[in-house]
Amino acid sequence: MNRHATIGATEAPLYAACFAGTLPAMPRPDPLRSLWPRTRNGRIAVVAFAALFTLAMPPVTHTVLNRIEPTVLGLPFFFVALLGVYSALIGVLIWAYRQRL
Amino acid sequence: METWVVTTGLIFIYLLVTLGVAVVANRHMSVNLEDFLLCGRRAGFVVLYLTVVATFHSAFAFLGSGGFFYTHGIGFWAAGAWTVLVGAITYVVGTRIWALGKAFGYITPADMLADFYESEAVRMAVALFSVLFTILYIQVQALALGYIVEVASDGRISFEVGVFVMLAVAAVHLAIGGLRAVYWTDVMQGVWMYVAVWAGALVLSFELFGGPVELWRAVTDQRPELLTLPGPEGLFTPGIWVGMVITLSFGIVLQPHMMIRYYTAVDGRTLKLLGATTPIYLMTLYIPAALVGLGGALVLPDLAQADRVFPELLFNFAPPWLTGLILAGAAAAAMSTLDSILHANMTVLTRDVYQRYLVRGRSQRHYVRFGQGIVLALLAVAYWLSLQESALLVSIINLSGSGALQLLPAIVGICFPGGRSLSKAGVLAGLAAGVATLWWSLLLDPNPVGIHGGLWGLAANLAVAVAVSAVTTRPSAETVERVHGEVERFVYGDDGTG
Repeated sequence: MNRHATIGATEAPLYAACFAGTLPAMPRPDPLRSLWPRTRNGRIAVVAFAALFTLAMPPVTHTVLNRIEPTVLGLPFFFVALLGVYSALIGVLIWAYRQRL
Repeated sequence: METWVVTTGLIFIYLLVTLGVAVVANRHMSVNLEDFLLCGRRAGFVVLYLTVVATFHSAFAFLGSGGFFYTHGIGFWAAGAWTVLVGAITYVVGTRIWALGKAFGYITPADMLADFYESEAVRMAVALFSVLFTILYIQVQALALGYIVEVASDGRISFEVGVFVMLAVAAVHLAIGGLRAVYWTDVMQGVWMYVAVWAGALVLSFELFGGPVELWRAVTDQRPELLTLPGPEGLFTPGIWVGMVITLSFGIVLQPHMMIRYYTAVDGRTLKLLGATTPIYLMTLYIPAALVGLGGALVLPDLAQADRVFPELLFNFAPPWLTGLILAGAAAAAMSTLDSILHANMTVLTRDVYQRYLVRGRSQRHYVRFGQGIVLALLAVAYWLSLQESALLVSIINLSGSGALQLLPAIVGICFPGGRSLSKAGVLAGLAAGVATLWWSLLLDPNPVGIHGGLWGLAANLAVAVAVSAVTTRPSAETVERVHGEVERFVYGDDGTG
C-alpha cells in the first residue's frame, strides 16, 4: 500500500461525489484485498508461514515425517523434524513483527 | 514429615498466596464496570503475555496432555501446530478484534457480533453459546483440581472435597479482585506452571531413566508404536490431526475468556508482539509433557486414569517438597484458566443478558454484585459436572473448542472486509446447524469417516450461513462501512478505498 498515493483521475469524481453527499454507498472492496497482503513483505510472510505450516500437516506428517529413524541426538525423527518446523514458523511471526507488518 | 503433609501443605500455601493477591488487587480497583471487567484496557506486554499463556494452558496442558501422550503417543505433538497457529491468529485476527473493541467500546465478544449483524438475537445467541461451551472448560479445571488434591493428599482428601475447596478459593479470589486479580495471579501462575512442568519432567526422566535422551531411547526400544502415527489406538488419522489443530487453535481463541483478553491490550503493537512470541511458551510446554506421558507409559503402564500420570509419577518417584511445588504449579494452571473463564462468563451474562435485558439503569456496584453472584452459580454447576462420570480431559476440551469454533464464520465476516457479508439470520441458522452437527459428529457418531467432529460442525455451519444469508437481509451499508472501515484504517492506515 502506498500511503502517499495521490488521487488519480479515476478516483477524483468519486471523492467529489463523496464530499458533495451525492454518493449513495462506498464501492464494495475486493474480497481479496483484505485476505491477500498488500505489501511485498506481507506476501513473503504469508507464503512462508503457509508453506511451513503445510509441512506440519497431513499428508507430510503421516508419510515423510512418520518415522523414528534416523534419530537426532537420541530423539525420534518425527519429534525433531516437527520441532524444527514449529521453530521456523515462530521465526516467521517474529520476522513479521520486526518488519512492522 | 510424611509426603502427603508436605505436598498438601504447599498447595494450601499457594491458595493463601492467591487469596492475598486478590485482596491487594481489590485495593487498587475502582467501582467501575470497565475496570472490573477489562482491567481498564491498560494491560501491557508482560502481564498480557503471562495471562494469555496461563489461561490458554490450563489443566488440559498440565495433566491432560501427559495423559494423551501416555495413551495415544507422539501424535499429540500436533499440539505444536495448534499453538503456533494460535500465535498467528492473535497476530492477524486478535489485533483486528482489539481495534474494533477500542473504536466502538466492545466489552464482550457478543458486543462485536451484535453491533455488526445489527441483531439482539445474535447477541443473546452468542452470549448463551459462549457460556454453554465454556462450562465444559470449567468442568475440566474442576476435575483436574480434584485429581491434584486427591493425589497430593494420598487419598486422605477426597476428590469431592478437593474440588469444593479449590472452587471456593477461585470464587472468593475472583469476587474480591475482578480481572485485575486474575491478571496478577496469572503472572505468578504463568511462571510457576512453566518452571514446574519442566522441573518435574526433567527430575522424573533423570530419576527413572538417567535423562531425557535415555527416556526417548527406552520408549523406542519398548513401545515404538507410541512414536509413530496414528498411535497405539489408531486415533491420529490425518482427519483427526487437522481437526484437532483447527479446533484447539481457533476453537480456544474464540472462547470469550481469550477474546476478552484481546480487548484489554494497551495497544495493537503489543498484541502483535504477543502473537509472535506466545507460541514459544505454548509450544515448548508440550516437550516436558511428552517426557511425562511417554515415560509414564513405561513406568506405570496400567493406570486407570491416564490424566493422573503426572501427579502419580511425582508422588511415587520425586522428593515430597518438589512434588508439592509442582502440584501447586498444576493447581495454578487449572486455577488461572478457571478464574479467567469464570470472569468471562460473568462478564457475558452480566453485560449481555442481565444489564441489557433484565435490569437496566442500576448502579455500577449493583452490576458488579450481580457478576459476583454469577460466579457462585457457575461454580455450583461446575462442581456438579465434575462429580459426573467424565471422559479424558482432552476429549472434553475438544467438545468445548468445537463449540466455540462455530463462531468463526461470523467473526471472519467482521474482521475481513470484502465480499458479501453474512446476514443475522444466516449467522443464527449457521450456529444452529453447527451445534446440531456437533451433536452427531462428536457425541452420537464421533469423528465420522476419520474426520474430526468439529470440522463437520464448521462445514455445516458455513454452508447454512452462506445459503440463508443469500436470501435474507444483510447488515446495512452504513454499519458495514463503519466497521470494515475501522478494520481498514487499523490494518492499512486508510479506509480501504485507496
